[in-house]
Amino acid sequence: MLATRVFSLVGKRAISTSVCVRAHESVVKSEDFSLPAYMDRRDHPLPEVAHVKHLSASQKALKEKEKASWSSLSMDEKVESLCFLLHKCGFGEKWLNVAEEGAADLCACKWLSSLPPVYRIKFKESFAEMNRGSNEWKTVVGGAMFFIGFTALVIMWQKHYVYGPLPQSFDKEWVAKQTKRMLDMKVNPIQGLASKWDYEKNEWKK
Amino acid sequence: MAHAAQVGLQDATSPIMEELITFHDHALMIIFLICFLVLYALFLTLTTKLTNTNISDAQEMETVWTILPAIILVLIALPSLRILYMTDEINNPSLTIKSIGHQWYWTYEYTDYGGLIFNSYMLPPLFLEPGDLRLLDVDNRVVLPIEAPIRMMITSQDVLHSWAVPTLGLKTDAIPGRLNQTTFTATRPGVYYGQCSEICGANHSFMPIVLELIPLKIFEMGPVFTL
Repeated sequence: MLATRVFSLVGKRAISTSVCVRAHESVVKSEDFSLPAYMDRRDHPLPEVAHVKHLSASQKALKEKEKASWSSLSMDEKVESLCFLLHKCGFGEKWLNVAEEGAADLCACKWLSSLPPVYRIKFKESFAEMNRGSNEWKTVVGGAMFFIGFTALVIMWQKHYVYGPLPQSFDKEWVAKQTKRMLDMKVNPIQGLASKWDYEKNEWKK
Repeated sequence: MAHAAQVGLQDATSPIMEELITFHDHALMIIFLICFLVLYALFLTLTTKLTNTNISDAQEMETVWTILPAIILVLIALPSLRILYMTDEINNPSLTIKSIGHQWYWTYEYTDYGGLIFNSYMLPPLFLEPGDLRLLDVDNRVVLPIEAPIRMMITSQDVLHSWAVPTLGLKTDAIPGRLNQTTFTATRPGVYYGQCSEICGANHSFMPIVLELIPLKIFEMGPVFTL
Protein backbone atom coordinates (compact mmCIF):
# COMPACT_ATOMS: atom_id res chain seq x y z
CA MET A 1 0.00 0.00 0.00
CA LEU A 2 2.79 2.34 1.03
CA ALA A 3 4.93 0.98 -1.78
CA THR A 4 2.21 1.73 -4.29
CA ARG A 5 2.00 5.30 -3.07
CA VAL A 6 5.77 5.77 -3.15
CA PHE A 7 6.00 4.35 -6.65
CA SER A 8 3.20 6.52 -7.96
CA LEU A 9 4.83 9.60 -6.37
CA VAL A 10 8.19 8.92 -7.94
CA GLY A 11 6.63 7.81 -11.20
CA LYS A 12 4.50 10.92 -11.52
CA ARG A 13 7.50 13.11 -10.80
CA ALA A 14 9.69 11.22 -13.24
CA ILE A 15 7.16 11.61 -16.02
CA SER A 16 6.24 15.21 -15.29
CA THR A 17 9.85 16.40 -15.27
CA SER A 18 10.88 14.22 -18.16
CA VAL A 19 12.39 16.08 -21.07
CA CYS A 20 11.23 13.40 -23.52
CA VAL A 21 7.57 13.80 -22.64
CA ARG A 22 7.82 17.54 -23.02
CA ALA A 23 9.15 17.17 -26.52
CA HIS A 24 6.18 15.14 -27.70
CA GLU A 25 3.23 16.90 -26.15
CA SER A 26 1.09 16.59 -29.25
CA VAL A 27 0.02 13.16 -30.40
CA VAL A 28 1.17 12.32 -33.91
CA LYS A 29 -0.14 9.37 -35.87
CA SER A 30 2.30 7.29 -37.86
CA GLU A 31 0.49 8.11 -41.10
CA ASP A 32 1.38 11.77 -40.62
CA PHE A 33 5.13 11.26 -40.58
CA SER A 34 5.60 11.99 -44.28
CA LEU A 35 3.55 15.21 -44.16
CA PRO A 36 5.07 18.59 -43.34
CA ALA A 37 4.84 19.03 -39.60
CA TYR A 38 5.39 21.73 -37.07
CA MET A 39 8.23 21.26 -34.58
CA ASP A 40 9.90 23.43 -31.96
CA ARG A 41 13.59 22.64 -32.54
CA ARG A 42 16.59 24.78 -31.88
CA ASP A 43 18.36 23.49 -34.97
CA HIS A 44 15.26 23.75 -37.18
CA PRO A 45 14.27 27.41 -36.77
CA LEU A 46 11.85 27.59 -39.74
CA PRO A 47 9.28 24.80 -39.43
CA GLU A 48 7.44 23.65 -42.54
CA VAL A 49 4.01 24.74 -41.36
CA ALA A 50 2.63 27.37 -39.04
CA HIS A 51 1.55 26.38 -35.59
CA VAL A 52 -2.05 27.54 -35.95
CA LYS A 53 -3.65 26.19 -39.09
CA HIS A 54 -7.12 27.63 -38.69
CA LEU A 55 -7.12 31.30 -37.71
CA SER A 56 -9.86 32.63 -35.50
CA ALA A 57 -11.76 35.76 -36.43
CA SER A 58 -9.67 38.12 -34.31
CA GLN A 59 -6.49 36.54 -35.59
CA LYS A 60 -7.61 36.98 -39.19
CA ALA A 61 -8.47 40.59 -38.50
CA LEU A 62 -5.04 41.25 -37.00
CA LYS A 63 -3.33 39.73 -39.99
CA GLU A 64 -5.29 41.96 -42.35
CA LYS A 65 -4.47 45.05 -40.33
CA GLU A 66 -0.79 44.14 -40.39
CA LYS A 67 -0.78 44.21 -44.16
CA ALA A 68 -1.88 47.84 -44.22
CA SER A 69 0.20 50.85 -43.19
CA TRP A 70 1.57 50.55 -39.70
CA SER A 71 0.74 54.13 -38.78
CA SER A 72 -2.86 53.03 -38.45
CA LEU A 73 -1.98 50.65 -35.64
CA SER A 74 -2.50 51.72 -32.06
CA MET A 75 0.41 51.49 -29.66
CA ASP A 76 -0.83 48.20 -28.26
CA GLU A 77 -1.41 46.82 -31.71
CA LYS A 78 2.06 47.93 -32.69
CA VAL A 79 3.46 45.97 -29.83
CA GLU A 80 1.31 43.08 -30.89
CA SER A 81 2.30 43.29 -34.50
CA LEU A 82 5.32 41.23 -35.20
CA CYS A 83 6.28 42.95 -38.42
CA PHE A 84 6.33 46.33 -36.80
CA LEU A 85 8.51 45.07 -33.98
CA LEU A 86 10.95 43.52 -36.34
CA HIS A 87 11.16 46.62 -38.44
CA LYS A 88 12.07 48.51 -35.32
CA CYS A 89 14.75 45.99 -34.61
CA GLY A 90 16.35 46.70 -37.93
CA PHE A 91 14.96 44.10 -40.23
CA GLY A 92 14.08 45.71 -43.56
CA GLU A 93 11.14 45.04 -45.84
CA LYS A 94 12.77 42.10 -47.55
CA TRP A 95 13.20 40.43 -44.23
CA LEU A 96 9.55 40.56 -43.45
CA ASN A 97 8.78 37.02 -44.54
CA VAL A 98 11.71 35.52 -42.79
CA ALA A 99 11.27 37.84 -39.89
CA GLU A 100 7.67 36.83 -39.49
CA GLU A 101 8.70 33.28 -38.91
CA GLY A 102 10.15 33.63 -35.51
CA ALA A 103 12.99 36.07 -35.76
CA ALA A 104 11.26 37.83 -32.92
CA ASP A 105 13.60 36.03 -30.63
CA LEU A 106 16.62 37.42 -32.40
CA CYS A 107 15.62 40.85 -31.23
CA ALA A 108 16.57 41.61 -27.69
CA CYS A 109 13.82 44.14 -27.32
CA LYS A 110 12.31 44.32 -23.91
CA TRP A 111 8.72 44.57 -25.08
CA LEU A 112 8.91 41.00 -26.30
CA SER A 113 8.55 39.59 -22.84
CA SER A 114 5.05 38.60 -23.75
CA LEU A 115 5.11 37.71 -27.40
CA PRO A 116 2.49 39.13 -29.74
CA PRO A 117 -0.41 37.01 -31.00
CA VAL A 118 0.99 37.17 -34.53
CA TYR A 119 4.00 35.27 -33.29
CA ARG A 120 1.84 32.73 -31.58
CA ILE A 121 -0.03 32.07 -34.81
CA LYS A 122 3.17 30.99 -36.48
CA PHE A 123 4.94 29.41 -33.54
CA LYS A 124 3.97 27.43 -30.49
CA GLU A 125 6.98 28.27 -28.33
CA SER A 126 9.65 30.92 -28.51
CA PHE A 127 13.29 29.95 -28.51
CA ALA A 128 13.56 30.91 -24.88
CA GLU A 129 10.60 28.69 -24.04
CA MET A 130 11.70 25.67 -26.06
CA ASN A 131 15.23 25.83 -24.65
CA ARG A 132 14.17 26.12 -21.05
CA GLY A 133 15.66 23.75 -18.57
CA SER A 134 13.62 21.28 -16.60
CA ASN A 135 13.71 19.78 -13.15
CA GLU A 136 14.44 16.32 -14.50
CA TRP A 137 17.95 16.37 -13.12
CA LYS A 138 16.63 16.50 -9.60
CA THR A 139 14.60 13.34 -10.20
CA VAL A 140 17.62 11.58 -11.69
CA VAL A 141 20.09 12.63 -9.01
CA GLY A 142 17.60 11.83 -6.26
CA GLY A 143 16.89 8.42 -7.77
CA ALA A 144 20.60 7.64 -8.14
CA MET A 145 21.33 8.65 -4.55
CA PHE A 146 18.43 6.52 -3.35
CA PHE A 147 19.77 3.43 -5.08
CA ILE A 148 23.30 4.08 -3.86
CA GLY A 149 21.94 4.27 -0.35
CA PHE A 150 19.99 1.07 -0.87
CA THR A 151 23.17 -0.62 -2.10
CA ALA A 152 24.92 0.47 1.07
CA LEU A 153 22.19 -1.27 3.07
CA VAL A 154 22.65 -4.42 1.02
CA ILE A 155 26.40 -4.35 1.69
CA MET A 156 25.84 -3.88 5.42
CA TRP A 157 23.53 -6.90 5.43
CA GLN A 158 26.11 -8.95 3.56
CA LYS A 159 28.90 -8.04 6.00
CA HIS A 160 26.73 -9.11 8.90
CA TYR A 161 25.07 -12.24 7.57
CA VAL A 162 27.28 -13.62 4.81
CA TYR A 163 30.97 -12.84 5.16
CA GLY A 164 33.25 -14.79 7.47
CA PRO A 165 35.82 -13.24 9.80
CA LEU A 166 38.87 -11.40 8.43
CA PRO A 167 42.17 -13.32 8.43
CA GLN A 168 44.39 -12.84 11.50
CA SER A 169 46.88 -10.85 9.41
CA PHE A 170 44.45 -7.93 9.64
CA ASP A 171 44.78 -7.69 13.44
CA LYS A 172 46.32 -4.45 14.61
CA GLU A 173 49.29 -6.14 16.30
CA TRP A 174 49.96 -8.24 13.25
CA VAL A 175 49.84 -5.23 10.95
CA ALA A 176 52.18 -3.34 13.28
CA LYS A 177 54.71 -6.21 13.31
CA GLN A 178 54.32 -6.58 9.55
CA THR A 179 54.94 -2.88 8.93
CA LYS A 180 58.00 -2.98 11.19
CA ARG A 181 59.30 -5.94 9.22
CA MET A 182 58.71 -4.15 5.93
CA LEU A 183 60.61 -1.12 7.22
CA ASP A 184 63.48 -3.34 8.39
CA MET A 185 63.55 -4.86 4.89
CA LYS A 186 63.58 -1.35 3.44
CA VAL A 187 60.64 -2.07 1.15
CA ASN A 188 60.41 0.57 -1.62
CA PRO A 189 63.07 2.84 -0.11
CA ILE A 190 63.17 5.34 -2.98
CA GLN A 191 59.66 6.70 -3.18
CA GLY A 192 57.53 4.16 -1.34
CA LEU A 193 57.06 2.97 2.20
CA ALA A 194 60.60 3.03 3.59
CA SER A 195 61.27 6.43 2.07
CA LYS A 196 58.62 7.83 4.41
CA TRP A 197 60.27 6.47 7.56
CA ASP A 198 62.94 8.39 9.43
CA TYR A 199 65.47 5.72 10.39
CA GLU A 200 67.44 8.01 12.70
CA LYS A 201 64.56 9.21 14.78
CA ASN A 202 62.65 5.93 14.46
CA GLU A 203 59.40 7.57 13.46
CA TRP A 204 57.47 8.50 10.32
CA LYS A 205 58.89 11.48 8.49
CA LYS A 206 56.92 14.64 9.03
CA MET B 1 56.45 -5.83 -2.32
CA ALA B 2 53.47 -3.55 -2.54
CA HIS B 3 51.88 -1.94 0.51
CA ALA B 4 48.14 -2.25 0.99
CA ALA B 5 46.05 -0.49 -1.65
CA GLN B 6 49.14 0.47 -3.62
CA VAL B 7 48.22 1.60 -7.12
CA GLY B 8 51.56 2.66 -8.63
CA LEU B 9 54.62 0.64 -9.57
CA GLN B 10 57.01 -0.64 -6.92
CA ASP B 11 60.42 1.00 -6.65
CA ALA B 12 62.96 -0.40 -9.09
CA THR B 13 65.58 -2.90 -8.04
CA SER B 14 67.17 -3.29 -11.45
CA PRO B 15 68.25 -0.83 -14.16
CA ILE B 16 65.66 -2.19 -16.62
CA MET B 17 62.88 -1.54 -14.16
CA GLU B 18 64.13 2.02 -13.71
CA GLU B 19 63.80 2.46 -17.48
CA LEU B 20 60.35 0.93 -17.43
CA ILE B 21 59.18 3.33 -14.72
CA THR B 22 60.39 6.29 -16.75
CA PHE B 23 58.68 4.93 -19.86
CA HIS B 24 55.49 4.38 -17.92
CA ASP B 25 55.53 8.00 -16.74
CA HIS B 26 56.09 9.16 -20.33
CA ALA B 27 53.28 7.05 -21.80
CA LEU B 28 50.90 7.92 -18.98
CA MET B 29 51.46 11.63 -19.51
CA ILE B 30 50.60 11.23 -23.20
CA ILE B 31 47.49 9.28 -22.24
CA PHE B 32 46.42 11.98 -19.79
CA LEU B 33 46.89 14.68 -22.41
CA ILE B 34 44.81 12.81 -24.98
CA CYS B 35 42.08 11.97 -22.48
CA PHE B 36 41.89 15.56 -21.30
CA LEU B 37 41.65 16.77 -24.88
CA VAL B 38 38.86 14.32 -25.66
CA LEU B 39 36.96 15.20 -22.49
CA TYR B 40 37.25 18.87 -23.35
CA ALA B 41 35.96 18.27 -26.87
CA LEU B 42 33.09 16.25 -25.45
CA PHE B 43 32.25 19.00 -23.00
CA LEU B 44 32.19 21.55 -25.80
CA THR B 45 29.97 19.28 -27.88
CA LEU B 46 27.49 18.89 -25.05
CA THR B 47 27.28 22.57 -24.15
CA THR B 48 27.41 24.31 -27.52
CA LYS B 49 24.65 26.62 -28.65
CA LEU B 50 25.60 26.24 -32.32
CA THR B 51 23.18 24.31 -34.50
CA ASN B 52 24.65 24.20 -37.99
CA THR B 53 24.62 20.55 -39.02
CA ASN B 54 25.71 21.08 -42.61
CA ILE B 55 29.40 21.63 -42.10
CA SER B 56 31.56 19.55 -44.40
CA ASP B 57 35.05 19.57 -45.93
CA ALA B 58 37.49 20.09 -43.10
CA GLN B 59 40.59 18.95 -44.91
CA GLU B 60 43.11 20.85 -42.80
CA MET B 61 41.68 19.52 -39.53
CA GLU B 62 41.57 15.98 -40.90
CA THR B 63 45.20 16.20 -41.95
CA VAL B 64 46.23 17.42 -38.51
CA TRP B 65 44.33 14.76 -36.66
CA THR B 66 45.93 12.09 -38.79
CA ILE B 67 49.51 13.29 -38.68
CA LEU B 68 49.55 14.24 -35.01
CA PRO B 69 48.51 10.81 -33.67
CA ALA B 70 51.06 9.19 -35.96
CA ILE B 71 53.76 11.38 -34.43
CA ILE B 72 52.53 10.58 -30.93
CA LEU B 73 52.65 6.87 -31.69
CA VAL B 74 56.23 7.19 -32.89
CA LEU B 75 57.09 9.05 -29.69
CA ILE B 76 55.71 6.12 -27.71
CA ALA B 77 57.17 3.38 -29.90
CA LEU B 78 60.78 4.57 -29.90
CA PRO B 79 61.39 4.43 -26.13
CA SER B 80 59.40 1.22 -25.95
CA LEU B 81 61.52 -0.56 -28.53
CA ARG B 82 64.65 0.83 -26.94
CA ILE B 83 63.80 -0.85 -23.66
CA LEU B 84 62.73 -4.02 -25.41
CA TYR B 85 66.10 -4.36 -27.07
CA MET B 86 67.85 -3.41 -23.86
CA THR B 87 66.37 -6.46 -22.17
CA ASP B 88 67.93 -8.67 -24.83
CA GLU B 89 71.43 -7.27 -24.53
CA ILE B 90 74.22 -9.74 -24.05
CA ASN B 91 75.31 -9.39 -20.46
CA ASN B 92 77.25 -12.59 -19.70
CA PRO B 93 75.35 -13.89 -16.72
CA SER B 94 77.39 -15.07 -13.76
CA LEU B 95 74.80 -17.55 -12.62
CA THR B 96 72.01 -19.57 -14.19
CA ILE B 97 69.01 -20.65 -12.13
CA LYS B 98 66.23 -22.85 -13.38
CA SER B 99 62.71 -22.21 -12.17
CA ILE B 100 60.08 -24.86 -12.80
CA GLY B 101 56.43 -24.21 -12.18
CA HIS B 102 54.18 -26.86 -10.73
CA GLN B 103 50.64 -26.94 -9.45
CA TRP B 104 51.03 -25.19 -7.00
CA TYR B 105 54.64 -24.44 -6.09
CA TRP B 106 57.95 -23.58 -7.71
CA THR B 107 61.09 -25.70 -7.97
CA TYR B 108 64.46 -23.97 -8.20
CA GLU B 109 67.62 -25.61 -9.50
CA TYR B 110 71.09 -24.24 -8.87
CA THR B 111 73.14 -26.55 -11.03
CA ASP B 112 76.07 -24.35 -12.10
CA TYR B 113 78.40 -25.32 -9.30
CA GLY B 114 76.85 -28.41 -7.87
CA GLY B 115 73.36 -29.76 -7.62
CA LEU B 116 71.00 -27.82 -5.42
CA ILE B 117 67.33 -28.39 -6.13
CA PHE B 118 64.51 -27.41 -3.81
CA ASN B 119 60.80 -26.63 -3.76
CA SER B 120 59.31 -23.34 -2.68
CA TYR B 121 55.82 -23.55 -1.15
CA MET B 122 53.72 -20.72 0.19
CA LEU B 123 53.53 -20.69 3.99
CA PRO B 124 50.01 -21.86 4.93
CA PRO B 125 48.12 -19.37 7.14
CA LEU B 126 48.37 -21.61 10.19
CA PHE B 127 52.17 -21.69 9.87
CA LEU B 128 52.56 -17.92 9.85
CA GLU B 129 54.18 -16.00 12.68
CA PRO B 130 52.80 -12.58 13.60
CA GLY B 131 54.38 -10.09 11.22
CA ASP B 132 54.73 -12.55 8.34
CA LEU B 133 53.28 -11.61 4.98
CA ARG B 134 50.15 -13.68 4.37
CA LEU B 135 49.99 -15.16 0.82
CA LEU B 136 53.54 -13.96 0.08
CA ASP B 137 56.04 -15.64 2.36
CA VAL B 138 57.44 -19.03 1.36
CA ASP B 139 59.35 -21.75 3.14
CA ASN B 140 62.44 -21.64 0.90
CA ARG B 141 63.46 -18.41 -0.77
CA VAL B 142 65.58 -18.05 -3.90
CA VAL B 143 68.87 -16.66 -2.60
CA LEU B 144 70.90 -14.73 -5.16
CA PRO B 145 73.80 -12.26 -5.24
CA ILE B 146 73.33 -8.57 -6.05
CA GLU B 147 75.17 -6.67 -8.76
CA ALA B 148 75.73 -9.80 -10.84
CA PRO B 149 73.82 -10.59 -14.01
CA ILE B 150 71.69 -13.65 -13.39
CA ARG B 151 69.99 -15.78 -16.00
CA MET B 152 66.66 -17.44 -15.14
CA MET B 153 65.46 -20.36 -17.21
CA ILE B 154 61.74 -20.73 -16.69
CA THR B 155 59.61 -23.71 -17.56
CA SER B 156 56.69 -25.69 -16.27
CA GLN B 157 56.11 -29.27 -15.43
CA ASP B 158 52.35 -29.30 -15.90
CA VAL B 159 50.25 -26.28 -16.90
CA LEU B 160 51.03 -22.69 -17.75
CA HIS B 161 52.43 -20.55 -14.96
CA SER B 162 54.24 -17.23 -15.01
CA TRP B 163 57.26 -16.26 -12.94
CA ALA B 164 56.97 -12.60 -12.00
CA VAL B 165 58.87 -10.23 -9.72
CA PRO B 166 57.52 -6.70 -10.28
CA THR B 167 60.29 -4.77 -8.58
CA LEU B 168 62.84 -6.29 -10.95
CA GLY B 169 60.57 -5.74 -13.94
CA LEU B 170 60.33 -9.47 -14.60
CA LYS B 171 57.47 -11.57 -15.87
CA THR B 172 58.17 -14.68 -17.89
CA ASP B 173 55.67 -17.38 -18.74
CA ALA B 174 56.40 -20.92 -17.63
CA ILE B 175 55.29 -23.10 -20.51
CA PRO B 176 55.42 -26.89 -20.40
CA GLY B 177 57.83 -28.23 -22.97
CA ARG B 178 59.54 -24.87 -23.47
CA LEU B 179 62.46 -23.06 -21.89
CA ASN B 180 62.06 -19.31 -21.55
CA GLN B 181 64.98 -17.18 -20.54
CA THR B 182 65.14 -13.89 -18.70
CA THR B 183 68.06 -12.05 -17.17
CA PHE B 184 68.35 -9.43 -14.50
CA THR B 185 70.85 -7.58 -12.35
CA ALA B 186 69.69 -6.49 -8.90
CA THR B 187 71.12 -3.25 -7.57
CA ARG B 188 69.98 -3.43 -3.94
CA PRO B 189 69.99 -6.23 -1.38
CA GLY B 190 66.66 -7.19 0.09
CA VAL B 191 63.74 -9.55 -0.06
CA TYR B 192 61.55 -9.21 -3.15
CA TYR B 193 58.17 -10.78 -3.72
CA GLY B 194 56.17 -11.79 -6.73
CA GLN B 195 53.16 -13.96 -7.49
CA CYS B 196 52.31 -16.53 -10.15
CA SER B 197 50.92 -14.56 -13.07
CA GLU B 198 49.19 -17.12 -15.25
CA ILE B 199 46.01 -18.86 -14.16
CA CYS B 200 46.92 -22.41 -13.28
CA GLY B 201 44.16 -23.89 -11.19
CA ALA B 202 42.68 -23.70 -7.74
CA ASN B 203 45.77 -22.44 -5.93
CA HIS B 204 47.03 -20.07 -8.59
CA SER B 205 46.94 -17.21 -6.06
CA PHE B 206 48.89 -19.26 -3.53
CA MET B 207 52.23 -19.97 -5.18
CA PRO B 208 54.34 -16.85 -4.67
CA ILE B 209 57.95 -16.20 -5.61
CA VAL B 210 60.41 -14.79 -3.09
CA LEU B 211 63.92 -13.67 -3.95
CA GLU B 212 66.48 -12.94 -1.27
CA LEU B 213 69.24 -10.78 -2.73
CA ILE B 214 72.42 -10.72 -0.65
CA PRO B 215 75.90 -9.24 -1.17
CA LEU B 216 78.10 -11.32 -3.44
CA LYS B 217 80.72 -11.94 -0.75
CA ILE B 218 78.18 -13.53 1.53
CA PHE B 219 76.68 -15.51 -1.35
CA GLU B 220 80.08 -16.89 -2.22
CA MET B 221 80.53 -18.16 1.30
CA GLY B 222 77.92 -20.66 0.39
CA PRO B 223 74.93 -20.19 2.69
CA VAL B 224 72.73 -21.25 -0.20
CA PHE B 225 74.51 -24.49 -0.69
CA THR B 226 74.28 -25.73 2.85
CA LEU B 227 70.69 -26.87 2.49
